[in-house]
This record gives sequence, structure tokens and C-alpha cells, in this order.
Amino acid sequence: MKIIGKLLLAITFAISVTTSAFAVTAVSWGGAYTESQKLGYGDPTAKALGIEINWVDYSGGLSEIKAQKEAGAITWDIIDVFAMDTINGCDEGLFVEFDFDKDFPPAPDGTPASEDFFTAMPSKCAVGNILYSWNYAYNTKNVKGTPKTIKDFFNTKKFPGKRAIYKSALTNLEMALAASGTKPGKGGANIYKKLNTEKGVQKAMDKIKSLCTDPKGGCVFWSAGAQPPELLVSGEVVMATGWNGRFFNAIVGEGAPLKQVWDGQGLDYEYFVQVKGGPNDANGKALKALSMMTNTEMLAGSAKYIAYAPWRKSSIAIMEAGEPWYKDGKTNMVPNMPTAPENTKNYFLVDPIFWADNGTELGEKWEAMKAGL
Amino acid sequence: MSSETKQILTTDGIPLEVSLKKAERKNKIKAFLLVAPLLLFLIITYVFPIGDMLMRSVDDKMVTEMLPKTFKSMEKWDGKELPPEEVFEAFYLDFRKLVSEKREGKLSTQLNYTKNGFKSIIKKLRRKSKSFEEGNYKEQIMSVHKRWADVEYWKAIKRRAPAYTGQKYLKGMDMYKNENGEIVSVSEDRRVHRILWLRTLEIAFFVTVFCFFMAYPIAHLLATLPMKYSNLLMICVLLPFWTSLLVRTASWMILLQQQGVVNDFFVWIGLVADDNRPEMMFNKTGSYVAMTQILLPFMVLPLYSVMKTISPSLMRAGKSLGGTPIVAFWKVYFPLTIPGIGAGCLLVFILAIGYYITPALVGGASGTLISNQIAFHMKSTLDWSFASAMGLMLLSGVLVIYWLYNKIVGIDNIKLG
Repeated sequence: MKIIGKLLLAITFAISVTTSAFAVTAVSWGGAYTESQKLGYGDPTAKALGIEINWVDYSGGLSEIKAQKEAGAITWDIIDVFAMDTINGCDEGLFVEFDFDKDFPPAPDGTPASEDFFTAMPSKCAVGNILYSWNYAYNTKNVKGTPKTIKDFFNTKKFPGKRAIYKSALTNLEMALAASGTKPGKGGANIYKKLNTEKGVQKAMDKIKSLCTDPKGGCVFWSAGAQPPELLVSGEVVMATGWNGRFFNAIVGEGAPLKQVWDGQGLDYEYFVQVKGGPNDANGKALKALSMMTNTEMLAGSAKYIAYAPWRKSSIAIMEAGEPWYKDGKTNMVPNMPTAPENTKNYFLVDPIFWADNGTELGEKWEAMKAGL
Repeated sequence: MSSETKQILTTDGIPLEVSLKKAERKNKIKAFLLVAPLLLFLIITYVFPIGDMLMRSVDDKMVTEMLPKTFKSMEKWDGKELPPEEVFEAFYLDFRKLVSEKREGKLSTQLNYTKNGFKSIIKKLRRKSKSFEEGNYKEQIMSVHKRWADVEYWKAIKRRAPAYTGQKYLKGMDMYKNENGEIVSVSEDRRVHRILWLRTLEIAFFVTVFCFFMAYPIAHLLATLPMKYSNLLMICVLLPFWTSLLVRTASWMILLQQQGVVNDFFVWIGLVADDNRPEMMFNKTGSYVAMTQILLPFMVLPLYSVMKTISPSLMRAGKSLGGTPIVAFWKVYFPLTIPGIGAGCLLVFILAIGYYITPALVGGASGTLISNQIAFHMKSTLDWSFASAMGLMLLSGVLVIYWLYNKIVGIDNIKLG
């Protein structure tokens, strides 16, 4: 009996050690987005590979992972980060550098991974996840007429009322320049060329300042993704910039009377990074999970739950073939994607290198401008 | 008896004072040993982290040891025009060593803190430097990007030479040390920190004042009512404590926004016109209202506990000695409550200075306080030395206020109950 007892103890210990103690920890933003990740590619990958994936929420930034590294107690394996953070984190040596064609599977038609990506990666440590958009929406009940362009966002004569804009300078400066007549150029290169000059920055800041101090206008600054649709529905503002997925959820999921405007949108990317020295780095499980989660079929799966465009070009082909793709089985997803052709007539790609370079200084100028409002 | 001139002796012939001191010392040691675990805990959890923050805020050894040759060759450079060829060559040698150790990324992050724009030019330099030829480094480096030919960028590198620096503290006050060693202010459109310090102090001060004027009558009521009513009202004071902070903040947004409940009510009773609704949210008013409500219990509770110990007969005595109720209140009651006022005001002020989530959500353009900047530098830019410096400046500001309070009111005059 004693031997059987010891044997049982050893077996349960072995089982517990092999399953839960080495779950891969994936860190993301929480809410509807993490839900879409979990259902779209997290759970299918966990099932296919037999590896448990544990989803944890965070609010952005690299401070937690840097603190973990300094304390020598890293608990995170994979993190979903902003483009700027991939550059900063890679520079600090926090993340694993990938060899894209070796580490990630090719598209179903054989295209190697690095050519299947929508654009090139900002750094060697990042693998593309989704493309989302900073666009704007308006409440059809409060606005007379139909705003169609980014210039209409700033046009308080034709569309009076308060606007909601993001609390930091990111994407606000680019939209202001686009609205004051700067043609974006290829992927917005022209806008960033202008923003690299003092005059360009001043022009953008002045446009925002005049919108916020206009008696027929006025600005509300939002910081959480859920605020723009809520401010629009409550009638507090007539137009709001925001993330397109949240607007989509409000319109389709909750029936809000909002309409999105894609002119002058800022395409932004979300990336996955793998932590160097994470608990599942050495045994390769993290990389295995990551490479399966970002393959063509899995990425297309996440688009069933949220209106963010999968990174791989081949995923869009799968979605088009399977329309209506949304989980309710009724809505076509491709027209609601930031990358749909009719939505990308006048757009800019948010440039992470520009913001990694100039974020601090522009942030100070922005706060000083806000202080003077 | 001459006992005044002779020393008093104990039974074993030792002078009384010595014996007394010995016995008291034993008691003191016992008392110290009882307190020792807590003292150790405080040292570990307070002094070490704050000491670490202090070290971090002045430590600049990383860049100093990354570019040894560069800084040595820069000693002779006066900083007015572009540096000579030997500085460029020394920088190239240092840089090549860093690239081979894969540490140039950290250098780019550090230099970017001093002057924005370094990140991309260092990346470019790394790519191009692989195919550099021997000699003539000045021309080759300048051809990589036009910023390498900008003397401001080389001046920025030189500023990082010292191993220990107070630069971050200067930056927190919107100043920096230029190449002549003078302390000058940053360009006017970037002087954001001074504005934020003043705004933080202003909001914290007014929130303390509002809390005081609201909490004093409430505490007095709670202290003088019979037990069963005051217990009920006390629950009303404590209940918000058990609600999440964000829930309370979001509720204020719903109540006070222009299309919110309060404004709808005003329009309904005809107090304001529908298109002229007062703006009570996303401005300073919103910050004041939300922060006052959240910090009110911190003022009520110390005041209540002090007022509870004041016997009602004292007020009656004051009045019976010929004072009007106002005079009796001002001369008898109020001075007795000063310990509670001191505790409450200090508590509320110190808490208000550190707030940033509530003002960020309800304060609109005026909702950025200095703690937002500290959090921003902790999370996004990872400039922990700057965040530490600002944190320590905040701490020293609070200590100055504490010292002022001690001078004016006296710290022994604090009672939390």
C-alpha cells in the first residue's frame, strides 16, 4: 500500500508539472480584443499542439517586462505590443530576434512568411498580428448631413459640436496635417516628412488648437478604447476618433447609430514579441505556439470576432472565400476591414520609427499645447 | 542630616543614578527589540527602494562606460563647431565595439532621452558602418544622416560624459546644462513640467480646502448625534470606500457631462437653456468634484475621531463664561480639533498630489498632472532614471510641506484618533 501511495504521488506530481506549470503565458490588452484572440487562434492552437496557453491582461508599455527582467523572474512568454514598443524592447535586448522564413510557416500556396506579411516588420523582434485603424465615427442622430472626409472632422461650421480625440499626440498630428491639405503620399510618407520639420509640427498643433478652442467645436480627450463609442452614443460629442474595432462592435454588436468614416485613417499594427529568457523560451514551446497562432488560418480565425485585419495577405483571401465571416453568420467582414480597398483611398501608415525617435519631445509640446487650452 | 550634599546610595553601595540608568537601559533594550522587526520591515520596504530610486536618478554610468574613447577625445573639444576628426574616429571605435556586443540599441535609447532623433540615426549608422573604409571617419559618419553633421547632436552626446549627473533633476524643472556649463531653460514650447508641477499643487491644495469645508460639518454631526443615527450616517461615509475607484469616476462622468443626468435635470426645471448647458466635466471642475468626493472619507474620519473625544461640557462652559456660540466655537472647540484637522489635511493633500487616473479621465485637457508624466516615463519611454528623479522631487516637495506644517502647527499636534 505504501509503495502504491508513493507511486500515485509521483504520477500526480509528474502530470501537474508537465501540464499546468509550463503553460505558455500570452499577454494582451484584455476586453473584446483578448476574447477575439483567445477564440480565434489561442484555443485552437492550444488544442492542436497540446500546450496550454494562459492569457494575461496588461495596459501596454514595457515597464512590467523590464522590471521582470531586472528582478530575474520572467513569467511572460509572448506579449502583444505596439510597434513602438517592439523597437524599444528589441533595442533593450528584451525580446528574441526572429528569422522570419525559418521560424514562421509559409502561406498555403507556398509563399514564404516574410513575403506574406502586409509590410516589412519594424524590427527583427516583431511578428505581425493584426492591422487596426485609427479612424473617426459620428452619431447619425446628432449630425445633420454626412461627413465624408477627414476635413469634415475639423469643419465646425458645417458640423458644429464637440469632438473627441486621443489624449496624446499619436495620430492626432498626422490627421491634422491630412485635414489641412497635406497629401499623405505613399503610405503617409509625405505626412511624416512634414512632421520631421518644425513648421509641420506647428501647423498640426495649430489645427488641433483651433478645433479645441473653437466655440462651435471643443475637444474631449479620451484615453480608454471604450470611451469614443460611449461618448458618441451619450451625445457628449458629435464626432470621435477611435479604434475601428470598437466602433464596429458598437454598431454591429450593440446597434449604436454610428457611422465610420475611413478617409484619412491611420493604419496601425499590433505585433507579437517573444520574451528572451521567458519560462518557455528554452524549451521552444513559446516559439511553437507563436508560429502556429500567426499562421494563415489562425489569423483569419480571429477576424471572426473582431474587425481587425489579419496581418497575412493570404488570410484575407480565406476570409473573402468564406464570407459572411463574422461570428453572427450575417455580416461580411472584408468591407469592414481597415485594409479593404474602398477604405484605403486616403490613409497613412502610423510610422513607429518616427514616434520611437520623437515621441518624448512631441509629447512635451503636445502637453504644453493642452495646458494652454 | 546632610542627605542633600551626599549621593544617595542603593543597598549595594552603588549610586542611585547609576543603578537607575542600568535598570532603565535594560527596559530600553527590551523596548527596542520589540520594535526591531517593524523597524527592519520599514527599512527594507521604504529606505532601500527610495535609496535605489535615488541612485537610479543620478546614475549615468551606462553611457560613460559605453563611450570611453569618445568622451576622452571630447575633453579638448570646446563644443562650438563640429568636433574634429579624432572625436569621430574615437566614436566609431567605441560604436564598433558596442555593435559587436549587440549593445548599440541601448546606447540609442539612452541618447534619445537626451535629444530626440538619435534612435533612427544610430540604426542607420549601424547598417552603413559595416561597409566603412579605414580613416576619414568624419566624412563617412556625416554622410550616413544629416543629423550626424548637426553640432547639437554631438553636444548632446558630450552632455552624457559624467558618470553621475543631476541632469534628470534639471530636466524635471525644464532646464538643462548647456556646453558652457550654464543652466538654461528648455525652449518655451516644451516647458511642460513647470506647468504640471504648479497645476498638481493647485489641484491638491484646492481639493484639500474643499474637503475640509465639507468634512468639518459632517464630522461634527457624526460626533454629536446619538449613537444609532451616527452609526447609520457613518455607513454612508464608508460605503464609497468599498466601491471601486474607477466605478466612482465613471459615475461622475455620467452625472456631470453636458448631456448627463445633472444637466438634464437643470434643463427640465428650467434653470438653464438646453443649448447653454454648463460644462462640469472634462475640465477642472470635474477634477475637483470627483477628487473631493473620493478623498472626503480621509478627512471625515480623523476629524470625527478627534471630535468624539471632545466633551460637550467644554462648549457649554465656554458659553456660560460669557461667550457667544461663535466665540465659544472659535476659542474652545476649534483649537481642540486642530490635531484632527492637521491629520486630515496632510492625508488628503499627500493623496491628492499622487492622483493621476481620476484627473486623466474627468479632467479633459487640464487633467494631466505630474504623476501622469512619471507613469508615462515608467511605462512607455522606459526612462526610469527620469521617472525616479521626478518621483524624488515629488517626495521632497511633500517633505517640505511636512516641515512647514511642523513649523506652523507642530507635528506632535497630529492625532488620527
